[in-house]
Amino acid sequence: MSWAVTLDDVGRRYRAGGRWVLRGVDLEVRAGTLLRVEGGNGSGKSTLLRLLAGVEAPSAGRIRGLPGTRGYVPERFPAALPLTAAAYVTHLGRVRGLRGRAAARESTRWLERLGAGPYAGTRMRELSKGSSQKVAVAQALVGRPALLVLDEAWTGLDQSARAVLDEVVRERVAEGGAVVFVEHDPARLAAAPDAVVRIAAGGLAERAERGPRARAGTEPRPRTPRLRIEARGTPGAGAPAGLPRGARCRVTPEGVLSLTVPAAASDAALRTLLAAHPGWHVRSVREEDAAREEDAVQERGGPVGPAREEAGPG
Amino acid sequence: MRETLALTRYQLALLVRSQRWLAPLLLYAGLLAVGVRAGDPVLDSLGFAAAALLPTAVWLVRVCVTAEPAAARHCAAAATGPARAHLAGVVAGAAAAAVPGGAAVGLVTAVSSRWSTDGGGAIPVASAVVAGVCGVLTCVAVGTAVGVLCNRPLVGARGYAVAMSLLGTVVALVAGASPARAAVAALSRASAQGSVDVPWVELLCALAVAGLAVCAACAVVGRRP
Repeated sequence: MSWAVTLDDVGRRYRAGGRWVLRGVDLEVRAGTLLRVEGGNGSGKSTLLRLLAGVEAPSAGRIRGLPGTRGYVPERFPAALPLTAAAYVTHLGRVRGLRGRAAARESTRWLERLGAGPYAGTRMRELSKGSSQKVAVAQALVGRPALLVLDEAWTGLDQSARAVLDEVVRERVAEGGAVVFVEHDPARLAAAPDAVVRIAAGGLAERAERGPRARAGTEPRPRTPRLRIEARGTPGAGAPAGLPRGARCRVTPEGVLSLTVPAAASDAALRTLLAAHPGWHVRSVREEDAAREEDAVQERGGPVGPAREEAGPG
Repeated sequence: MRETLALTRYQLALLVRSQRWLAPLLLYAGLLAVGVRAGDPVLDSLGFAAAALLPTAVWLVRVCVTAEPAAARHCAAAATGPARAHLAGVVAGAAAAAVPGGAAVGLVTAVSSRWSTDGGGAIPVASAVVAGVCGVLTCVAVGTAVGVLCNRPLVGARGYAVAMSLLGTVVALVAGASPARAAVAALSRASAQGSVDVPWVELLCALAVAGLAVCAACAVVGRRP
């Protein structure tokens, strides 16, 4: 089945005459594609996802071709519902058209696949944050909705559940569903998206299209995001041993270390630095591009501020 | 249709397990205990039982449309659309009010005297029950309309919603144009005259009012999720 959701000059604001949270968005999401939405805090990513999930109607423009069933994982899922995890997911399965036992079976299957099987019978308000996030993911997957909208769905999941979700997303796309996601970890599904949409200051600024993979014989290899870690150690110390593969390391005689690693390996690199003897004092973790720009500004004699600290992935 | 039924079932499950039905039900039981006495004329008592159900229905509709935290509401809305999800909550609230209403009709008919107010005319049980059910459903429908108009998505803030629900309840019970008031008046008039007058017209008007209110709420629910 082939379908496409089209957003035509879509805008959203929460009261008449209020601030536009999102404005002038033109977007198409086709069946069988994976779309990543990027943007800073408060740029309207979550609002765009709620529009795509059909939870909200746009204040301006039109959305056409929304498939009948959508799955939506909200950014925060405070599951203070008086139902058990299994009962809740089963209800959502029925809402998506599964009948009687099939709904219960599928709900159990998803909960077990995500590793939430042991607490399927636990009331949702008694679940831990990570466990209720698994329920949030399971309710979106049950009944196999055509369009899956994930708003930082990986946050709070344990490693194995994250891997399962990665796998499910690939499966859904391969089966002809569409998946739209927001995720703060730049390495998440980095090689997979067919398109990346970046939202800047309440509108779509750019769209990097890679075309549906079904047609593209050879997928252009994406540039893996890299992080630069800067640290200070004792003068004369050499490069620390045991850095992850793919790390580029430079140490000045004064003991200033500059390390460039793939984003996915940054946690491992930081752990190595912190565990090393003599120790390294981490001064900043930045995206490589940002670091390069700042260094260029410094070299030109521009304003010199303290190193901007950014959270690493994971 | 199937989706709406499944959503209503989900909303009813939330209502039953949350125990938030208890307070409105106690209110109704309390009102009946005060207002209905064994041996009173049956149609008068049925009129009271119907009128007392109106605030209960308003409250239960409020409970159902505010049962879920926003995130859970969004998940259910994504599954089939926000209008259907809202409709399901309203239907669940109205159904939850109709159940004690039906029980009250049975109970009141069983304990009341089958005579008109002046004791001059016998009232047939069957027609008393039909008139009572009509009165009860009219009040459920008007209560549903009040509950729908005075809660989210039309009234967002909790304080305003509760105040407007109270005000709306009073208006629905005393205003001359209210089908609920007309139905209750028809029952007590029938009791006075000793002839059963089933309030069909009032019931149809009340259903129309409730339908319009639900349409209005479902039309804006996407804009104010």
